[in-house]
Amino acid sequence: MRIRFWGVRGSIPAPGPNTTVVGGNTPCVQVTGEDGTELILDAGSGIRELHASDVGHAKRIHILLTHLHLDHIHGLLFFRPLFDPEAEVTVWGPPGRASLRSRLARFLSSPLSPVEIRDLPANVAFKDAPSSSWRLGELEVRASLIAHRGPTLGYRIAEAGATLSYLPDHEPGLGTSLSSAPSNWISGLALARAATALIHDSQYSDSEYAFRRGWGHSSLSDALAFARRSGPKALFMFHHDPGHDDGQLQSLAHQATDDAARLGVEGEVQLAREGETFDL
Amino acid sequence: MTERARAEQELAEQPLELILARNLISIVSLPAVLVDVNTRIVFFNEAASEQIGAPFEEIGVLEPDEWSARYGPLDADGNPLPSDGLPLATAVRESRPAYGRYFFRTESGMREVEAGALPLTGPAGYHGAIIVFWPVPADEAR
Repeated sequence: MRIRFWGVRGSIPAPGPNTTVVGGNTPCVQVTGEDGTELILDAGSGIRELHASDVGHAKRIHILLTHLHLDHIHGLLFFRPLFDPEAEVTVWGPPGRASLRSRLARFLSSPLSPVEIRDLPANVAFKDAPSSSWRLGELEVRASLIAHRGPTLGYRIAEAGATLSYLPDHEPGLGTSLSSAPSNWISGLALARAATALIHDSQYSDSEYAFRRGWGHSSLSDALAFARRSGPKALFMFHHDPGHDDGQLQSLAHQATDDAARLGVEGEVQLAREGETFDL
Repeated sequence: MTERARAEQELAEQPLELILARNLISIVSLPAVLVDVNTRIVFFNEAASEQIGAPFEEIGVLEPDEWSARYGPLDADGNPLPSDGLPLATAVRESRPAYGRYFFRTESGMREVEAGALPLTGPAGYHGAIIVFWPVPADEAR
């Protein structure tokens, strides 16, 4: 499968000259299977560029939302295929008491939006992610609730022996020690275990996290501790804080590399960068 | 690790509702016990261990028949109480918090407690329950 980062920033877009290297768009990751199946993980502002000028885009697209915080959905109405009457788009998201469609309609309706869900020309279906794994083309997808504020999913996507784990908003270290807690008592660990690539929240430096505990995001140390327990071949630091410019993120990346070696994290650690593409 | 062993380990991961409940009760000072969907005691906190007489790390996970044989609940004469009348059973059956008063056995003898059971039900259904309990004050004890 091919992975491309369209948005790697957390909370709110951070455009400007100081974020051009890493990127300022909010979460959106494109996953394309060997058979052409297309999954889009989250609909942050990064989704706007995806298929923006592509008249030959896939006609069947799956958008997998981790949760409904604004930074993960505010790109939806700027996703061109939703305005293509020939497109079939399925939006998956966390289960809730109300339907996914009605929960999203709170945002995609007046006075917050000029366009209503029912006005979208595409054939759009809204589905709760099932509790057991399911297939989308040749891709096997598994979703589980993970520790964040409000119902939030992490995803594990597998194809032909390669596995991508996507936990962009995750605070597994809240109220527990990631170094000593039993494995089956750590949020998200089964989703991330031995993944080929793990995309994981690392929004805060350790000193910042001290003042943001419980906000639903991880410190760099917790992201690394989670990686040490889950054992991915590669860890992509993700959901970068909007207040971190390119220089600060490079510093965090260097620190991550040093700390990973000290902590015994075996996989490669790197910053997720907008526009970057890699194959698994 | 074999693929089969790994798959079994993955299947054993607790649902998030239980993970967060464990994180919560591990830092509060009210005695609290966590049971899973199979009514196994999968964790109790330090305050509960002071009442029970041993830490969770020493006792570990307890099956229902193990903890009922070891601790109760019991009536004032030390007889086992029918499980379907306990707060936990009511909480599970009726999907609501339930309250009760009973005795349990400790290393220092019988102890009367008041207990409340809170069912942990999420989008995927029932996952277990938190049982909090506190000793009945001596002047109210039966």
